[in-house]
Amino acid sequence: MSQVSGAGEGRLIQVDDITRVFHVGGEEVRALRGVSFGISRGEWVAIIGQSGSGKSTMMNVLGCLDTPTSGRYMLNGKDVSRMTDDELAVIRNVEIGFIFQTFQLLPRETALANVELPLVYRGVSARERRERAKAALDKVQLTHRMHHRPNELSGGQRQRVAIARALVAEPSMLLADEPTGNLDSATGEEIVRLFEQLHHAGHTLVLVTHEPKLAARCPRAIRLSDGQLVADGPGREVALGVGAAALAAGGA
Amino acid sequence: MRGGSAFRVDVLEGARIALFSLRANRLRTVLTTMGIGIGVATLLAIVGIIQGLNTSFHRQLASFGANTLYVSKFPWMIKGDWWKYRNRKNFTLDQVARLRTLAPFITAMSPSVSRLSDVSYGGDQMSTVRIQGVNHEYLSISGFDVTAGRFLTESDEEVSRPVAVLGADVADRLFPGVSPVGRSIRVDNRTFQVVGTLSRKGKVVNESMDLLVLIPFKTFLRNFGRWRAFEIAMAVEDAGQVRAAEDQLVGILRRIRSTPPGEPDDFNINKPEAMAQTYAQLTGALYGVAVGVGLITLLVGGIGIMNIMLVSVRERTREIGVRRALGARKRTIVFQFLMEAASVSAVGGLLGTTVGLGTAKVVSLITPLAADVQLSTVLGGVFFAALVGLLFGIWPAARAANLDPVEALRYE
Repeated sequence: MSQVSGAGEGRLIQVDDITRVFHVGGEEVRALRGVSFGISRGEWVAIIGQSGSGKSTMMNVLGCLDTPTSGRYMLNGKDVSRMTDDELAVIRNVEIGFIFQTFQLLPRETALANVELPLVYRGVSARERRERAKAALDKVQLTHRMHHRPNELSGGQRQRVAIARALVAEPSMLLADEPTGNLDSATGEEIVRLFEQLHHAGHTLVLVTHEPKLAARCPRAIRLSDGQLVADGPGREVALGVGAAALAAGGA
Repeated sequence: MRGGSAFRVDVLEGARIALFSLRANRLRTVLTTMGIGIGVATLLAIVGIIQGLNTSFHRQLASFGANTLYVSKFPWMIKGDWWKYRNRKNFTLDQVARLRTLAPFITAMSPSVSRLSDVSYGGDQMSTVRIQGVNHEYLSISGFDVTAGRFLTESDEEVSRPVAVLGADVADRLFPGVSPVGRSIRVDNRTFQVVGTLSRKGKVVNESMDLLVLIPFKTFLRNFGRWRAFEIAMAVEDAGQVRAAEDQLVGILRRIRSTPPGEPDDFNINKPEAMAQTYAQLTGALYGVAVGVGLITLLVGGIGIMNIMLVSVRERTREIGVRRALGARKRTIVFQFLMEAASVSAVGGLLGTTVGLGTAKVVSLITPLAADVQLSTVLGGVFFAALVGLLFGIWPAARAANLDPVEALRYE
């Protein structure tokens, strides 16, 4: 199952000719129509596009929450495009750390318990869970708030808890969906700085956003439009429409 | 790390979340459990009362003596035409004597006849006391002991002496704190000398077995009429011989009573054991209906559980999405909700058990019914409630597990 293709070799993520077709009320919606790209370990990549461009679908596929209709998705050397539901659950647990726009913390659990959750599903003992969750909260400077529930935390603090939760199980990549979308600009900036630190620490980051300013901060950006990849290059160029990548996009 | 531990994660995490959720929704938990609780309480109270009835009935029947048989022209429990039995020929003392010689396996035999009379001593009077005419052998058949004085003797019988042995109720009422032996009582204006008193047997189906006065059989006939039908009480060596004795008795009795071949028996052989069977048939139907009612209540409770679980699944759609995104498998989600349903129901079962037992106890205190609940019934109640919860939790749990994670995360 985990055959490694020549193109995907050494790459953390390799998608080849991915399509995703939805059937909505008898009508066929082609959300992705043949997308291919690769992401190496340690990269920080933004996936940008207007709403309806297919970036959300791309994020769900990359996050193994959804499977492509056709094409192949290799993640960390494993072909996840044909995996069963249970296998995908394990992949999500081991390989991916999710960061959502709306934080998606469990409201009734403390920050610490929220951060522990991925480790619960990995079968880690309670004591080790606690230690590792504390360490993760330390990375986002939130140990002093760990016994608070989400509704007692500010938006920025909630997103930092969510980032700690994504980090705690040491996944292959962090997958962030509009991580600053629900935050004011100052707090958003805080979070972007945190991402920068994580990038420098060697984490692989994939950031899905519609904000060019945010994408411009990423070393690399991929632009989707109408279900197809239209640009792939340095973040500033792809996001702000300057340089070679923008020209390539214009040409396509 | 996976495999075996995955199951452990499912169970532990399921249980933890279930308890968490129960605590978070206390009021809802209590309300939901009430349906199941009432079902279990109803079932337990009914089962308890009926079990109590059965136990006391059997215990009391045993005091009749499991090794005894009673031959009469009437069955103890008449099914059908009373006149058919009424028109049978009475037994005679001559027949009793012949039976005695023909049935050596009978260890004790006494004719027995009774009526209800007023009994008085000095100024004290008791009404509706059972006056029973029996012979000296009746003591070993009856299962009574003599607590003071002596029992009836053969010579009492031969010369129809006006002597009496008092049941414990009569002795206690008429002679509080004094020995009745040697004193004279009056039974329907006839005088009897008390020669002994009997041990206490208690109640059978709410009727005291100790509200009686035993007098010699012939004395009874002389004083209260000789035309009466009587029954023949007898005992065999032990309970195991009752059946064989019964078979032999049929032949002997037909001979004694000159029943032509082909004709049905014109007598009945009554046994406490047979009474127990008739009783079991009677209560069996009652039992069935009562248990049916309890089950329907449980069903209603189960639907309540299902309803609240569906609400719970809907409320926590996003939570389910988050858990799925973080690595929870479908099975884990199913476990989580099944555990929740089962524990809500088990709590209900526990409450119901308490209330049901309490009800049974109160009933046994304020009525003559003795409730008797066995441990197995209690455990069964809790287990059964949890099972109902599990059953009715399956559908909501499956719905939760089959949610699309993407949709669930987006749910508002």
